Amino acid sequence: MRDTLNIEQTSRTPAVVFDFDNNHLKISGESYPEDVTEFYRPVFNALDTYLGALGEGPCRFDFELIYLNSSSAKAVMMLMDKLEDAAKNGASVDVYWFYDKEDDTMQELGEEFGEDLENAKFHLEKMAD
Amino acid sequence: MPSDELFATEEQVIAAAQALLADGRFADKDDGKLYEELLKDYQKLLRTTRRLMRLSDRNEEQLNALSNEQKEANALIAQKNKELDALATKLSKYLSPQIYHSIFTGAQNVEIASNRKKLTIFFSDIMNFTETTDKLESEDLTNLLNRYLTEMTNIALEHGATIDKYIGDAIMVFFGDPQSKGVKEDARACVRMAIAMLRRLDELHAEWLELGAAEPFHLRMGINTGYVTVGNFGGDERMDYTIIGSCVNATARLEFHAETDGILIGHETYALVKDEVDAEEREPIKVKGFAEPLRCYKVLGLYDDLVGEGSVIREDRDGFKVLLDLKKHDRANAAEALEAIVDRLKKSP
Repeated sequence: MRDTLNIEQTSRTPAVVFDFDNNHLKISGESYPEDVTEFYRPVFNALDTYLGALGEGPCRFDFELIYLNSSSAKAVMMLMDKLEDAAKNGASVDVYWFYDKEDDTMQELGEEFGEDLENAKFHLEKMAD
Repeated sequence: MPSDELFATEEQVIAAAQALLADGRFADKDDGKLYEELLKDYQKLLRTTRRLMRLSDRNEEQLNALSNEQKEANALIAQKNKELDALATKLSKYLSPQIYHSIFTGAQNVEIASNRKKLTIFFSDIMNFTETTDKLESEDLTNLLNRYLTEMTNIALEHGATIDKYIGDAIMVFFGDPQSKGVKEDARACVRMAIAMLRRLDELHAEWLELGAAEPFHLRMGINTGYVTVGNFGGDERMDYTIIGSCVNATARLEFHAETDGILIGHETYALVKDEVDAEEREPIKVKGFAEPLRCYKVLGLYDDLVGEGSVIREDRDGFKVLLDLKKHDRANAAEALEAIVDRLKKSP
């Protein structure tokens, strides 16, 4: 049984819940950490380990972000790259991008991220009220 | 500048590289593939740069909008605060400054609550006010009364009194709440205030006669010290910060029995001020609610003032106190008594 990565949300950092047993990974909240690399390093490491062992298995990744700064946007793109690579290697990857229905910026950002994904399946959805 | 124009140079580089690949100018297939990969990464990097730049610009825009909203909100708050300050200043005129201060600094809650305290209470009243002012026009009466109350209020505040209320021409104040300098000093301050008020009244007489009052006004004043219940009384919608208790009624009775332009004080006040104030005992007065008639004293003046006038000789040192009232004692008798003391002093070892 693999461990679950669980990072609690703060006012500057998002909640991270990687439920590896159910192949359901999620990042939600706001992201503008003082040190982006420090915050995302364990996230990248956990994802690398998980995807390395995923093979052709299924994986769902939910992004439910309200606000992110430029450095966090770069980190999100790196996560997308990792998911895209896993899909390219045969995994069945579904990426969900949830946005606030009144936030055009996050919707457009999601659309652009989706355009970069060729092998992973991208889903753009409004957050539930 | 549109984003396309901003990245025109990068787009030209990509177009040139694509043309190079399309022309098939790479003799080595592996070199061509490497170049293609490099071009793809360059395109992705450009996309990322554009995306981050756009995101950064939007975040900045939102931040500026929020900052402007904040500025507008701050300006609105400042405006409202100014209005509230103006309103509070107006309202403060209806309250005693000490009560206003203790409410506005949060030292006192505006709620129905009270507690028991030993205070010195003061009542004053203009004798025959209605008859004296009967012939005055309403405007003149208003000016005259307000002038009198303003002068008396200023003196009261200078001495640290809490203004309880004005009842027509009558004034009710107390000492010892919400601020107290101790029961003794509160009582002394109250008597000093009453004497200062009488002095000011003398000065006002001329002014009032000029305004058309038939004859000068005269006051009666009563002072008493004792336990009362002090606090907010009334309902949630309208309350008064005031005092209640039999001591308050007794003070009103002392005032009623005072002589023209006189100050009548109760026994407890007298006990607290007698070192500083010259007073003579009067016939006790009967007050409803009190089993025994109240002992009372007429204030004659402050010893400090009487010494200045030469009617009193006073020497006050630690463990040595001499007070000689020359209105009550013959000079020769007093000298004889003092000489006897000096003789005893000389004879003692």
